[in-house]
Amino acid sequence: MDTQYIRNFSIIAHIDHGKSTLADRMLEITGTITAREAQEQLLDDMDLERERGITIKASAVTMNYEYEGHAYMLNLIDTPGHVDFHYEVSRALAACEGALLVVDATQGVQAQTVANAYLAVENGAELMGVINKVDLPAAQPDVVGDEIEHVLGVKKSECLLISAKTGKGVKEVLDSICALMPAPKDLSNEPVEALIFDSHFDEYRGVICYVRVFSGKLKLKQKIRLMGSGRTYLITEIGKFCPKMKPAGELGTGEVGYVIANIRQLGDVTIGDTITDDAAPAEHALEKYKPPLQMVFSDFYPGSNTDYPKLRAAFDKLALNDASFSFVPQNSPALGFGFRCGFLGLLHMEIIQERLERENDINVVQTAPSVSYEVVMRDGKVIRIDSPSQLPDRTYIEELREPFVKLEIITGTDSIGGIMKLAEERRCKLIKTDYLGPTRVIMEYKSPLAEIVYDFYDLLKSISHGYATMDYEFLAFEKSSLVKIDILINGNPVDALSLIVHRDNAEPRGRKLIVKLRKTIPRHQFEIPLQVAIGGKIIARETIKAFRKDVTAKLYGGDVTRKMKVLKKQKEGKKRMKNIGNVQIPQEAFMSILDTSD
Amino acid sequence: MSRIKKAQAGNTATLSQSGINSMTIKEDNISGLYVHIPFCTSKCAYCNFYSEPVSAHDTYRLLQAMRRELSLADTSAVRTVYIGGGSPSCLPAAQLAEFMKTITDKCHDITEFTVECNPCQAAPRMLENLRELGVNRLSIGAQSFNDDELNLLGRIHNSESVRTAVYQARQAGFENISLDLIFAICGSTQATWQASLEQAIALNPEHISAYSLTLEASTPLAQEIEQGKYTAVDELTDRAMYEQAIETLTKAGYEHYEISNFAKSGFECRHNMGCWQNRPYIGIGPSASSSSGTRRTRNFSDIKTYIKAIESDQSPIGETVKISDMDRICETAVLNLRTKNGIDVKKFKQVTGNDPCLLFAEPVRTHCEQGLLKIENDRIYLTAKALPIADYVLCDFAAL
Ligand SMILES: Nc1nc2c(ncn2[C@@H]2O[C@H](COP(=O)(O)OP(=O)(O)OP(=O)(O)O)[C@@H](O)[C@H]2O)c(=O)[nH]1
Ligand code: SF4
Ligand SMILES: [Mg+2]
Repeated sequence: MDTQYIRNFSIIAHIDHGKSTLADRMLEITGTITAREAQEQLLDDMDLERERGITIKASAVTMNYEYEGHAYMLNLIDTPGHVDFHYEVSRALAACEGALLVVDATQGVQAQTVANAYLAVENGAELMGVINKVDLPAAQPDVVGDEIEHVLGVKKSECLLISAKTGKGVKEVLDSICALMPAPKDLSNEPVEALIFDSHFDEYRGVICYVRVFSGKLKLKQKIRLMGSGRTYLITEIGKFCPKMKPAGELGTGEVGYVIANIRQLGDVTIGDTITDDAAPAEHALEKYKPPLQMVFSDFYPGSNTDYPKLRAAFDKLALNDASFSFVPQNSPALGFGFRCGFLGLLHMEIIQERLERENDINVVQTAPSVSYEVVMRDGKVIRIDSPSQLPDRTYIEELREPFVKLEIITGTDSIGGIMKLAEERRCKLIKTDYLGPTRVIMEYKSPLAEIVYDFYDLLKSISHGYATMDYEFLAFEKSSLVKIDILINGNPVDALSLIVHRDNAEPRGRKLIVKLRKTIPRHQFEIPLQVAIGGKIIARETIKAFRKDVTAKLYGGDVTRKMKVLKKQKEGKKRMKNIGNVQIPQEAFMSILDTSD
Repeated sequence: MSRIKKAQAGNTATLSQSGINSMTIKEDNISGLYVHIPFCTSKCAYCNFYSEPVSAHDTYRLLQAMRRELSLADTSAVRTVYIGGGSPSCLPAAQLAEFMKTITDKCHDITEFTVECNPCQAAPRMLENLRELGVNRLSIGAQSFNDDELNLLGRIHNSESVRTAVYQARQAGFENISLDLIFAICGSTQATWQASLEQAIALNPEHISAYSLTLEASTPLAQEIEQGKYTAVDELTDRAMYEQAIETLTKAGYEHYEISNFAKSGFECRHNMGCWQNRPYIGIGPSASSSSGTRRTRNFSDIKTYIKAIESDQSPIGETVKISDMDRICETAVLNLRTKNGIDVKKFKQVTGNDPCLLFAEPVRTHCEQGLLKIENDRIYLTAKALPIADYVLCDFAAL
């Protein structure tokens, strides 16, 4: 197809501002789906996406549209809004010439609006402003237009006002895309270069690569080469997303679609790699994007040691579908054999955890998530650890570094005071404050990742009555005055309960922590001493009293069903516990170490 | 009085006139009959059994309905009968007698026939009557021999009534008497408990049940404790009292044959042993439950609803729970383990088709290691150490 009639664009926005709904309307208007096929957020086809009402994975779809008498091919890539999945947005943007920046007319510019707009600019995508949800009574398109112009440099007068829900203005969006968005460069006579911007695994067909052809064309039965890995494959199927996969003979310059080439494992393709022709290869690969950065790590242990192989198989399967999740075997002195898993963020962790439980019948005990640290050793070596338990002995350590991020918070002016207080408690340094409009500000902080990745967002929401939003981006590892808190249960140090915190907070955190543990660890038949040690020195202790009685006095015919239920529940509780030196430690205890509340 | 279903052993007298020998029926097929009389003179402060004030109801109409329910039940395998409540003894004597007769007319091979009796309702005439009708075991709700404690519990009798009741029962010819006792009552001490135990022993009953006071939410007593009016006995003392009961009663010649039950040799409650063997039983009356082995049902609790159902020829069953094979196996294990004999490995295999040592290998191993279970002579049973914390062990048998 003539590239001047092709438009490739992403829809980017803050969470819930209506990307997927806008995509629905476009699919309908262009007749890509019939009214009968229509369902809300059609592109969110994963179970979890549908249940949570959010987009987790980007998805692509090709639409045909007629504008001013010409047939256009519009390739839309819907993206997730949540911070954990920013890398999905970058990938999508790398495949596009333009981006629709959707802003909710009742919410205005939010943290992920800004973050995603920057990503678009970085990727050289042309921004087109779309103010959505104008059907709502609380819509303030005028104010929101000012914000967009002020913060993002997109002209207010050029923003389109739409309701993705009712469909109002959506046709105009399609027209503007054809009229104003740049067309792909016509490089059809050059050697083929296609960017793999996503992939997914299909049980029957193997890896399905999502591609954007930048030059030349890809054809069925073509022998291709992945420029990064050097591996070669034969294309067995090629086609477009309509939105279901529809085979086509080829994909030309500027087009977006999929390639299946007998690739057995997701790990065999690197997202960002370039596909070229094996016989007539391109000279340089396309520019790759940065691999996703894992921000939090957590250990998973099978409740019973015999389930270890089952857990491995389950993780293998999950990793098959999610290249940004990683796991490596881990052996904890206290907890035995398990896996250390890396995640993009807490939402990503929750999703993996949920899938693990839903798709497998395994009881797992999970340790509290941790960020990674850099340790400069006395001998000058620098090592990276992603769990407090991996921290070498103090005597070998020259310096400890923790990850810092650029944190952006958008909020109403009335909660600035509360947020500044919270930020200060969390060791965040204010870099600057900008006004978005008369009553809203954007605050930029430099902050330790460990301080903002767990409960910060919830606290932020409660301080701002739900109005503040935040986004963060990794900056660098920097030296910090950190210490490790160790917990001893019944005299045994429990590595999985260790915690790295700033020296100034260490004592109060340690004290709070054992109080929490005292409440979450069930009583046993014996007394259990709990101790907190900082730098090898015990700073606090608590005792869990022994339980003396646990017996149902009366159990006769009529009570059996009810009693069995109670006993089953008691047993369930035991299953999600880990036995450490005769003490049963429940799942909640491991998580309680992150709880900083009183 | 409690709805506890007790029966007796040792008494070989058969009530049957038709004379089917109980030996012709395989032990595992026999079942028990439980009859729930949902009336009490007044409500005790700790009680969460279903019972209503006897004065507010047409007792005869209910008994008619229950008679009808009974007439439809297949009672051919019934060998033990237990009339509990509520307080069966609060019924008008003639009505109670008439109902007993319906039972003996229908069930011909009863080896143990228990009626629960409130100590202040043990009228000589009624007792004699019951004895004549074939009732051979009397379960007396003594609860305590300390009048302050009885008062606090809201019992309508005092300790003297218990002594009188036992005397009258003996006079009437009862050779199998059981006393219910409650310990860890608010304000009680190990000394008052010891006194109650000794006074109970002095009356020389064949059987004693000793229960730790269970504070059921929403009972007046639990609420009073919540409000700080009384203080619950602490766990340590509660445990000590339990151990004290075991020691005192064992020394006095009672065998500790189930978590809360003690009996002179041969006087274990047969009816309840059936329950701990997980044998089928038939329940008659409001809120009574029945189990066929694969299904457990419960009748409507509300007296009016129950009567209405039966009078309009409808089932009085309010709730049905299916019991899968797995459920049944686990129930059997849990119930067996409450008894002194524990799980009889051979019998368990024979009844459930499964080897408990394999099925429950993991919990058996871990609890044996901790000294909470013992395997000996083809039996798996709780050790003395495990008794006060039995649920901690049993829960591991509640599911596979
Ligand atoms: N009233 C109104 N509601 C809308 C409109 N557009 C979207 N919504 C609603 O807003 C909510 C979020 O819409 P989505 O399309 O899932 O938002 P999203 O941006 O794709 O969300 P994520 O993928 O989770 O980031 C849904 O409940 C939509 O029905 C609109 O124009 N008007
Ligand atoms: S006598 Fe008291 S304890 Fe027994 S059922 Fe009646 S109210 Fe409940
Ligand atoms: Mg979406």
